[in-house]
Amino acid sequence: MDEKTKTAAGIAAGLQGMKYDDKRLAELATEVEILNDAVRKAAAARLTFDDDPAAFAGIMAKEARS
Amino acid sequence: MRNEDLALDDLASIADDIAAGRTTSVAATEACLARIEAWQPRTNAFLRVYKEKALEQAKAMDAELAAGKRRGPLHGVPMAHKDMYYRKGEVSTGGSAIRRDWVAPVTATVLGKLDAAGVVELGFLNMAEFAAGPTGHNVHHGHCRNPWDQSRVTGGSSSGSGASVAARMVYGALGSDTGGSIRLPAAACGVVGMKATYGRVSRAGAVARSWSLDHVGPLTRTVRDNARMLSAIAGHDPNDSTTSDKPVPDYEALLDGGVAGLRIGLALPNDGPAPLDAQIGAAVQAAADALGRLGAKITPVTLPDFTALYRAAEVMVKCEAAAMHRPWMEKTPELYANQVRTRMEAGFFIPATQYIDALRLRAHFVTEFLSTAMDGVDAVLLPAIPFPLPTIEETDTETKGGPAVLKMVAGFTGLTRPFNTLGIPALSVPCGFDTNGAPIGLQLVGRPFDEAMLYRIGHAYQGATDHHLKVPV
Repeated sequence: MDEKTKTAAGIAAGLQGMKYDDKRLAELATEVEILNDAVRKAAAARLTFDDDPAAFAGIMAKEARS
Repeated sequence: MRNEDLALDDLASIADDIAAGRTTSVAATEACLARIEAWQPRTNAFLRVYKEKALEQAKAMDAELAAGKRRGPLHGVPMAHKDMYYRKGEVSTGGSAIRRDWVAPVTATVLGKLDAAGVVELGFLNMAEFAAGPTGHNVHHGHCRNPWDQSRVTGGSSSGSGASVAARMVYGALGSDTGGSIRLPAAACGVVGMKATYGRVSRAGAVARSWSLDHVGPLTRTVRDNARMLSAIAGHDPNDSTTSDKPVPDYEALLDGGVAGLRIGLALPNDGPAPLDAQIGAAVQAAADALGRLGAKITPVTLPDFTALYRAAEVMVKCEAAAMHRPWMEKTPELYANQVRTRMEAGFFIPATQYIDALRLRAHFVTEFLSTAMDGVDAVLLPAIPFPLPTIEETDTETKGGPAVLKMVAGFTGLTRPFNTLGIPALSVPCGFDTNGAPIGLQLVGRPFDEAMLYRIGHAYQGATDHHLKVPV
């Protein structure tokens, strides 16, 4: 079991109270790594301290055309 | 010209004929019921048909008209909806086994609006389990089958909505769209589907897939029908705090502006999760050419790299779905299809910081998209599904799971899911048929709350083409 799969195993058993076999844990670890990397890179390039999730609704209203 | 079979008329025509006394709601309902009897065995589009109740409703609508009361432009029109809109006191399965006998405690806001508009309810429609799946497979209630070729997928998750409208069993149907689930079945079945701006239509009383990305919207035979239906269901709802209080335009009244002078960006991306098939690209190019002949200025645009938008959407869906499904996933995981359960499991492992950053990124993504791909254009035209429709068998992932599922899902939703992240309106319109005889759909994408522009372009396109008039036999 590699490090990321061990981490997934720890989250499943220790934090979420869920059981998965090693094969599934390895799949999940790979899937989460891909998603996390994409979001982390996008965030690093764009986000600042003041970015608020609610800004999305504000932008939609501000950019509205009707 | 009137069709001999009333079920072959479009929504606007039948509604106007009912209003004018040229036909009745009962006659239209009976025509739809006959059509359901013929097509349900071939498509499995319906989960429940309310024959007697629908006829009673239709009689009541006719009686109101006879008494001089017309509720509005949908008065007496028979429809059916994806089985995820709650009707108080009635079963609402969400396409699942878990809720096979579950009775809804409230009525969805959109159903309430359609009730008030005088719509007749023919029943509820097949869908992907808990709106999770882009193909139309459902292991609990049976796969939905495409009316144009019953070996092929309908698209999902609003599979029954697409199939029932295409087979002329209903004049219109509600679907929902978290990653393409209105636009994919619309494209796959050769009908029109609108994913309006996030916040334009209430989600209250609808099964959630992802609160942040879910959009409620109509599937219909024509753009005019769709505009009429959206006007009836859109608007602020105190039961859904994400709805906008912006006034709802009369979309149908704005249809006839034409496209002369409009600027439409054409995107034929070949670098998404699935390569763009040549015949799909040719069909969308032909649509652009048709709009060009009508006076639109067509300019090539380059879409931004959708990878981050796509992944951010996946993070939101997986985290939100895992949270809401957790009790069932712990207690009765065997009641889910494998491919539905496995797609949610990653949500238990994604750090909360990543989920929050995905939400925080949305405003940046919108700003970037509007200032690049949409800079200087009124709408962007692109394909809905980048490849010809596969068969049900080819895409049966139930026994596979894992990376194979992700790859398949990414291929179907590569050009639709990013617009759920962006929350901007996107309209799917039929634009041809592939070499297998299955429909091809184009997608029009606009600025926030500019549904009227997309309808205007789509309506002009349908005025110059006949793809939407073809009926599966």
